[in-house]
Amino acid sequence: MNWEKLPAWLRWALYAAVGVFVLTVVQDFDETGSLTAAGSSQSMLRWAVPILLAGLGGLFSERAGVVNIGLEGMMILGTWFGAWGAVVYGPWWGIVLGMAAGAVGGLLHAIATVTFGVDHVISGVAINILAPGITRFLSSEVLTTLPGGSITQSPRVPGVGTFTLPILGGGSIGSWQTPDFFGWLAGREIFLISDIASIAKGLVTRISWVSLIALLLVPFTAWLLWRTRFGLRLRICGERPQAGEAQGINVYRFKYIGVVISGALSGLGGAFIASPELSGIYLEGQTTGRGFIGLAALIFGNWRPVGVLGGALLFGYPFGIGLRDLDGSASHSLILVNAIGLAAVAIWAATRGKRVDAVLALVLGLAAAAWYLTSDTLPDVWINILPFVIVLIVLVFFAQRLRAPAADGLRYRKGEN
Amino acid sequence: MRQHLRVLSLLAAAMLVLVACAGGDAVTTTAPTTDTTAAPTDTTETTEATTETTAGATTTSGAVAACDSSVGLVFDIGGRGDQSFNDSAAAGLERAADEMGITFTEASPNDDGSNRAELLQLAADASDIVLAIGFLFEGDAAAVGAENPEVSFAVVDSPMLDFTDNPEGVPYGDNIAGLVFSEEQGSFLVGAAAALKSTTGTIGFIGGVSGVGGLIEKFEAGYQAGAMAVNPDIEILSEYITAAPDFDGFNAPDRAREIALAMYDGGADIVYHAAGGSGAGLFEAASVASDTSGSKVWAIGVDSDQYNTADPAVQEFILTSMLKRVDVAVFEAIRAQCEGTFTAGPTAYDLSVDGVGYSTSGGFVDDITDQLEDFKAQIVSGDIVVPTEPS
Repeated sequence: MNWEKLPAWLRWALYAAVGVFVLTVVQDFDETGSLTAAGSSQSMLRWAVPILLAGLGGLFSERAGVVNIGLEGMMILGTWFGAWGAVVYGPWWGIVLGMAAGAVGGLLHAIATVTFGVDHVISGVAINILAPGITRFLSSEVLTTLPGGSITQSPRVPGVGTFTLPILGGGSIGSWQTPDFFGWLAGREIFLISDIASIAKGLVTRISWVSLIALLLVPFTAWLLWRTRFGLRLRICGERPQAGEAQGINVYRFKYIGVVISGALSGLGGAFIASPELSGIYLEGQTTGRGFIGLAALIFGNWRPVGVLGGALLFGYPFGIGLRDLDGSASHSLILVNAIGLAAVAIWAATRGKRVDAVLALVLGLAAAAWYLTSDTLPDVWINILPFVIVLIVLVFFAQRLRAPAADGLRYRKGEN
Repeated sequence: MRQHLRVLSLLAAAMLVLVACAGGDAVTTTAPTTDTTAAPTDTTETTEATTETTAGATTTSGAVAACDSSVGLVFDIGGRGDQSFNDSAAAGLERAADEMGITFTEASPNDDGSNRAELLQLAADASDIVLAIGFLFEGDAAAVGAENPEVSFAVVDSPMLDFTDNPEGVPYGDNIAGLVFSEEQGSFLVGAAAALKSTTGTIGFIGGVSGVGGLIEKFEAGYQAGAMAVNPDIEILSEYITAAPDFDGFNAPDRAREIALAMYDGGADIVYHAAGGSGAGLFEAASVASDTSGSKVWAIGVDSDQYNTADPAVQEFILTSMLKRVDVAVFEAIRAQCEGTFTAGPTAYDLSVDGVGYSTSGGFVDDITDQLEDFKAQIVSGDIVVPTEPS
């Protein structure tokens, strides 16, 4: 059987199943109890959504051939306008205005890179510097006039609300309180089955509507970019724009569309950060680099939507665990998970005849195992670093298998070759 | 078309520069400030009028003499309006303006705090005394203070002692003072309140940033000691959001919310925070946890009376707040400057001078104030010595 022939969603579902299996084994071995708790998967989703949205944003932009380092800045615009819109006009307006502000940031990036041919990285960095300046200025002009607002923060931001899936998660239909199937199964303490149910329970209980939209955007993006004429045209701008041009496609237009959608999605991610699902307030500097992590998720996911989701969940999970882990034992167990993952990489590399990779993975895996055995808790610092370490590991071992769009980041001029 | 785009890009570039200036220029003169600073510049022409207004101000307060000192205040990260630490400092500054008629300017650093030294120098250029709010100013204030010996500097939350040559510490300069608080004493009282009010026997503590000279650990130590004094068997969950030198922990309500939710899930029914702006996330979490579990859980605020500054939607979850009277310290420092009694080195504000305390807004602790006052009396008299390091 050829592993690569499986559809992406099935492959990723299998990866996830293996991941849950490893977590379950480690949890039972370590007796931590929180690796597969419903609260952990709930927080994983919460922390993954902004990363996912930024990553999907990056996908639209880079598939159209424009590198978007400015995701972080567009996200910052999203937090400010998301908070301000929600406070002044209501939660859904916050979402809309956050997206619109991000889209304007994207438009600026498109004007600079597509129309004027500015280097994509320079324009992106400029936007990342510009956005905090704009928001600080707007805060001093606008937020200071709101009760409870100041030059660096907004009043409390209202949220769009949450929902719980009926029957599976125990939500209610009308006045009927449906049974809680996953909760029941999780309570039965069956090896693996209960753990999967517990994780699933967290993913269907009290989910923000924005999280649901973000999750639905994954199959939608896959369909839009790979199953429609629009998607084919947008992708050709990132692969062979001259070929598209020869087919009569207005490459500039599609690049503009890609980058503006990119900005809107990161703006949505920013609005979500300011919403009470995460912060419930606009606070200067609160994105803490999540736009960049979205970019990392994009690379991890090999410029494909399901892969981006996988990356976002993988980065969100240790972050949520690290915060929820009050005695440091669960994050400590994660080192063992890492050691097992590296061992798997070593075996994978060995079967492919990549001796250097296999030895490197084995050494790193043994180092992680040694660390696990010689320590009792994990310093907080490591939890913040872990997502980046995972990206580095992935890049080191799988970089040859990753393929960016061929014309990604290149300057395109109509009529030139 | 091409021409249009040129013009457009030029406009965009101009905007960029303008916005950058607006953002970088962190010295924000709020409306009342402009008024007060405008007054003395007019004095050359209308001396009589100005004297009249200052005289008026003095008669209303009675106790303090009028003062024409100019004061420059530089806020901590977060700036004015954080409803906590910085607002408390602003309150002290405004009280000094009201009662003594001082003039003042204020500034907020940018969010990575990289322009602190410049803002201090800017304030020093126009002031007789510069107040720096927050321990993060220690190094910059020592340096800028040495360059401006004619200006007095006071830094909140740092003793401003130089330990390089002398293990006991000597002031950085004759013009540099530190305003420090006995946070452990105030935290002791809210810890006792938490233990008295807890029904589950589990309470929580969220610290902003660990390892900054033991500053936040003082809060934790006092809180622990207070809770144990009431109930020696109480379980105290404790977590810090970040570790120095990563100061995101004071500015991360989303992370505080997540930690607080985990604590409430873990059985805690009261959680105290010493995490500055992150505290908003704790109040959100208290509201969410009360909603999902169906039984009410509490949060305890810090620095200022957060019951009064929080959004009405989360007010009902704030049991009490550990008051750190930064306003008193700021006011007293300005008064000392005016009266010529400014002293270099640390000045301590503890329970005996009401430099720290607890709030009663909301009336949630009315039934236990007798016990809390009893503890307070024992601390002031020295019968209870509150530890400054967590056990």
